[in-house]
Amino acid sequence: MPEEKKFPETTPASEEVRVGVYTCHCGGNISHVVRCERVTKSLGKLSNVVVARTDPSFCSDTGQAIIEKDIKELGVNRVVIGACAPSLHEQTFRNTVTRAGLNPYLYHHVGLREQDSWVHGDDKDGATEKAIRLMSAGVAKARLLIPLDPIRLGAEKQALVIGGGVAGLRSALDIARQGIRVTLVEKSPFLGGRMAQLESIFPTDEEPRQLLHELIEQAAAYPNITVLTQAEVTAVSGYVGNFNVRVTQRSRGVSDEMAEALAAACTQETPDEFNYGLTRRKVICRPYEGCYPPLPAVDWEHYDGQPIQLNGKSVVLKDEPQVHELTAGAIVLATGFDPYEPRRGEYGYGEIPEVATLPQLIRALSRVPEGEPLTWNGHPVRDVALIHCVGSRELDGVHEPQADGQVNNYCSRVCCTASLHTAVELRQRFPKLNLYELYQDIRTYGRGHEEIYRQAQAKMVRFLRYHGDERPEVAAAPAGDTHPVLVRVKDTLTYGEEIEIPVDLVVLAVGMMPRQIDSLVNMLKVSRGADRFLLEAHPKLRPVEMAVRGIVLAGTAQGPMNIQESLSAASAAAAKVASLLGQGRVELPPFVARVDESKCNGAGACVEACLEEGAIALQTFQENGREVKRAVVTPANCTGCGACVGVCPNRAIDVQAWTLAQYEAMVDAIAMETPAFSEAEK
Amino acid sequence: MTSNEKGKQPKILILATLAGGYAGADATGQAHTDYPANTYILPVMCPVMFPPEFFVRAFERGIDGIIIMYSGTDSPYKVEADGTAALINRSYALMKTRGIDIRRLRLAAICTVCVKPFLKEVNQMADLLKGIGFVKDEIAAPAAA
Repeated sequence: MPEEKKFPETTPASEEVRVGVYTCHCGGNISHVVRCERVTKSLGKLSNVVVARTDPSFCSDTGQAIIEKDIKELGVNRVVIGACAPSLHEQTFRNTVTRAGLNPYLYHHVGLREQDSWVHGDDKDGATEKAIRLMSAGVAKARLLIPLDPIRLGAEKQALVIGGGVAGLRSALDIARQGIRVTLVEKSPFLGGRMAQLESIFPTDEEPRQLLHELIEQAAAYPNITVLTQAEVTAVSGYVGNFNVRVTQRSRGVSDEMAEALAAACTQETPDEFNYGLTRRKVICRPYEGCYPPLPAVDWEHYDGQPIQLNGKSVVLKDEPQVHELTAGAIVLATGFDPYEPRRGEYGYGEIPEVATLPQLIRALSRVPEGEPLTWNGHPVRDVALIHCVGSRELDGVHEPQADGQVNNYCSRVCCTASLHTAVELRQRFPKLNLYELYQDIRTYGRGHEEIYRQAQAKMVRFLRYHGDERPEVAAAPAGDTHPVLVRVKDTLTYGEEIEIPVDLVVLAVGMMPRQIDSLVNMLKVSRGADRFLLEAHPKLRPVEMAVRGIVLAGTAQGPMNIQESLSAASAAAAKVASLLGQGRVELPPFVARVDESKCNGAGACVEACLEEGAIALQTFQENGREVKRAVVTPANCTGCGACVGVCPNRAIDVQAWTLAQYEAMVDAIAMETPAFSEAEK
Repeated sequence: MTSNEKGKQPKILILATLAGGYAGADATGQAHTDYPANTYILPVMCPVMFPPEFFVRAFERGIDGIIIMYSGTDSPYKVEADGTAALINRSYALMKTRGIDIRRLRLAAICTVCVKPFLKEVNQMADLLKGIGFVKDEIAAPAAA
């Protein structure tokens, strides 16, 4: 059973309701459109309102101090704040009122920025009237608020990390070091993720697989960490502190003893995704020597079921998935990214063999022995054009949308440096190459990254700048030309001169795409941003937490990042998990159903309407010598959906802090014919 | 529009789920895209908490249009998708008995990043209300509705 944490009840039911109303300028974000002084004047006339103020920024320390002072000195016992979205600062202000000794649930937040000033910039009167009505509704609700206590539950000191790339590994290790057990689930047969496909990482030029190896070695050896490869989360229920997770793990398909022999005997091949389709691999394989786990595994997606001939015997491989039922107090999403895959024909990709993506070039370069010349499609490479922003910074109405109807209008952030880093490597390894970087803007923003840009300039890489809506054109050269491909670009550095560059290879610096993790998103009920990457609860205040409590983000699942940033995010995520689960208990908001015993007559409609197992039941009580039935809520199992509220014939049940009476009062305030704002004019 | 009150605008109430429509409205704000100011968004956990009488009461108080922006099958609540649809049907039945045009109550699935669908719903309701007028006029003269 849940325990309840007791806040001081500073406002007994009998106490006079004294409302403080605070309209934030939000540094001009609100006050440039909404006439905040007029809002304050109007709200100050409402009954129960004892103080109404504005401030340039109530979320600042000084702004919060004003509210705290009013609570302490003016006896304010209900607080209404009109400010940015509640998702950004609701918790900030709950903490503010708590510090002043007020129950945190005697505060109501009204969103005046995203839902008013930012969308009614051309209608200042309308925006001001809207603010007054919404704030009036907030006061109407505040009058009916009662002190509440959060629900405190025991939490499993066990975390689930989804994704075995560099971010997932870092998170798993950091969490485990805090004494919390970790299950690391990786979909592919091997750990390491995208980082394992790189050969050299900027700005230090270190060998990425060596760095990964160190991390994997530590994680694999750590007693608190269980690694499940070829495994996927297939069901999740529960809540922060107590997620029930089902993981389905495919078998590796080959025993340790037979793995190498079967891999050698296997003849079935498929394109090798480790090399981005440039080569083929067997369906029993490992991506590279030194990977973890070290032995080959069966690729069940591509294995055709045919027997493998080994030592005169036919061996048929069988996938026998295992199901693991886990409990986790918190979940880290480290699902990573996919490189943008250009459409067929986009810059000639898929149609002209001499057009490749940057990840493909990096893999191809790894297979060119030192001192050997660079060739592509059987031809020596003399001239290379690298085109930036492929699949990034696309424009609505200019670029062809993707399958989901959207364009990638974000900057992928790492491709400029990655492209320049590769150009520098090409220059060092193949000094006679002519290199052209075709870019919109150079965004080498990290420490040591600008130096790579300068190196590229110093090493005679030629830069041509194009405009976003006039991207370069790539075409196959006419037969007999000296080069197989022609790149045309309108170069803004030479005042729009149209330049034609004959090249042997076009390299597309592709951006990062969010992974296809729809089923995971649906299971966890987490949000994605407009860019389709997973969305944090607040970009500044809660940068690695999701809105769903107990779920945190690590690395590029959240958006384009370089390795350094991914690792920072991963460690931050681990710190959040450790702080959440370290106490062995978590607090949940008290937004659950509550029965008014004086009104409940045991009709039972609530029990029929409720779909949450064990959330509500009819119980029999002895009262004045007779048996009565009443609904009883189990808060830990109640989700606060309110299905019980809508069907109760006696209005005997409500969701705490979201009651029907509060909504009716808010509607009345919004609908009133003679609103407070016109009174303010008098 | 049949209001006698010069400049009076119909009022649109949007009941938006925290997991869907409310975040969608915030995303619309982040896109700085304009829509009519006579829209009042209230956050809700899940719309199934409202009985049909709640909507009728709101109309009788002077709310001219209500859009429920819910999360549909993406909701964190098992009951939301089917429960809300059933609620709407019950509400329409009650509205008819009170002479209220059922087009004043709409249900829309709006996700956290549904900026365009959000704007479409708001603008459609605003256009509808321009055509059918204030709810109080309709309730006062049901035969004309």
